[in-house]
Amino acid sequence: MKKCRISLYGSCFRHFLFISPQEMRGPRSIEIWKMGAVNYLEALKLQEKLTSDRKTHKIKDTLLSLQHPPTFTLGKRRTVHNVLVSEAELKAMGAELHYTERGGDATFHGPRQVILYPIISLRDIGTGARKYVENLESTMIELASLYGVKARAGETGETGVWVGQRKIGAIGVRISSGITSHGLAFNIDPDLNYFKHIVPCGIPDKEVTSLQKEVGLGQKLPSEQVIHEQLVSCFTKIFGYTDVTWRDKTSVSSDGNE
Amino acid sequence: MARSLWATRAASYLRINVPCRGFATGSDLPICGTRVGVTFHGMYLLYVNCENNFLSIHAVLKDLKYADSHEWVRVEGESATVGITDHAQDHLGEVVYVELPEEGSKVEQGASFGAVESVKATSDVNSPVSGKVVEVNKKLSDSPGLVNSSPYEDGWIIKVELEDDSDLPCLMDPERYTKFCEKEDASR
Repeated sequence: MKKCRISLYGSCFRHFLFISPQEMRGPRSIEIWKMGAVNYLEALKLQEKLTSDRKTHKIKDTLLSLQHPPTFTLGKRRTVHNVLVSEAELKAMGAELHYTERGGDATFHGPRQVILYPIISLRDIGTGARKYVENLESTMIELASLYGVKARAGETGETGVWVGQRKIGAIGVRISSGITSHGLAFNIDPDLNYFKHIVPCGIPDKEVTSLQKEVGLGQKLPSEQVIHEQLVSCFTKIFGYTDVTWRDKTSVSSDGNE
Repeated sequence: MARSLWATRAASYLRINVPCRGFATGSDLPICGTRVGVTFHGMYLLYVNCENNFLSIHAVLKDLKYADSHEWVRVEGESATVGITDHAQDHLGEVVYVELPEEGSKVEQGASFGAVESVKATSDVNSPVSGKVVEVNKKLSDSPGLVNSSPYEDGWIIKVELEDDSDLPCLMDPERYTKFCEKEDASR
C-alpha cells in the first residue's frame, strides 16, 4: 500500500510535524440587504458591482435577500436544450430568459421563492467551492427542518436540496478571484407549473416541490418576510458570522444607490 | 513524470475519512490542524491536513511555481504549461466542465483566462504568467475529470508562449505554496 511505501525511504526524508491549534478567528462580519422583488438583470448588475467592490476590499461580505419576477435562467454551459419552449412562448407567459456565468443548469425563479445571493470572500474563510456549496445546502436543509420537513443534500451530480425525490432548493454559484456571486433559491410556494417548461437543473423525471407543498396545502406558513429572515439566520449561523448587520434596501437600484 | 502521477494518485488514494486522533498520535488529544510536510526523492511535498475528522493529503510538485489563486506553472525555456493544483481540485470537487480560451488569445498574469465548473459552481481560473496561448488541452472537453485525477499531468489546461519571464519572481516556490495552503486552511 502506497502509504507504507513512503515510510520506507527514511533516508530521503526530511519531515516536519507541527501541531497548529485552531486559530482564534476574529468576529466574522456580514451585511444583509433585504431587497424585496428585483428584476433579474438589475440584480445581476448589482452583484457585479458588489463583487468588484468586495475584491478591492471596499465592502465587507454582503448577502442579498430577494425575489425575482418570473425568470428562467441558464448557466455557463448554456444548456438551451433544457428549456422546452421558445423564448417567444416564455415572453408570452410573462417570463424572461437570461444566460448567466453561474454554474448549474436551467432553472426558474419567481414570486414566493427566496433567493439569497452571498457576495463573500471564500479565501478569507479558507473555503473552496465544494465546502461552500455544501454549506448552502445545509442552510436550506436547516430552514426546512424548522418546519418539520426533512430535506437532504443531493447525491453526486445532483447538487441542491431534496425532500425524497422532489427538489425544494437549487444552487448555482459563480466564484471569481475567490468572491462568490449568484447563490441559492428556495421554494416557499412559487407557481410550480413554470417548472414544466424546463428540465430543472438538467435532471429529467424529478419533481420540483415547495415548503408549502411539503408541510401540506392546508397548513398556513408565516409571512414570506419571516421565512426570508429565517433563511438568512440559518446562513449566518452555518457560515459562522457573528457580526450581522441588516439593511433595508427595498428601494435600491442596480448601482447600489437608494 | 510517472513519479508525480504517483504522488497525486497517492494523495487522492489517501484522502479518506478517518478519526484524526487514530492516525497521528493515538492519544485522546484533539489534533485537528495537524499538518505534516514530507519531501520524497526531492521531487514533491505531500502536505497532510487533518480537519473535522477528514484526513486529506495534497501533492505539491517541486519543479513548479505557484500562484496564490492555486494555479501552477511549469516553465521550460520560453514556454509554460498551466493548470490548477491538487489542493485546488480537491476544494472544487468533481469537475464537470472546463471553459478553455481560444488558441492565440493573450493571457495576463493574475487575470482570468477560463473557468472550471464543479458542484454547480463555476470558478475562474487565473493565469500565473503573461503571454499567448499556443495550445489548450482539448481532452478536457470530453474528460473534464482529468483535472481531478491528474492535476499536474494529464489535467494541464493551457500552454503559453511567455512574453517575458518578469512575472516569475512574483510566484511562490513549492515550500512557500505549501505554507500558504496551510495558512488558508487554518482560517476556516
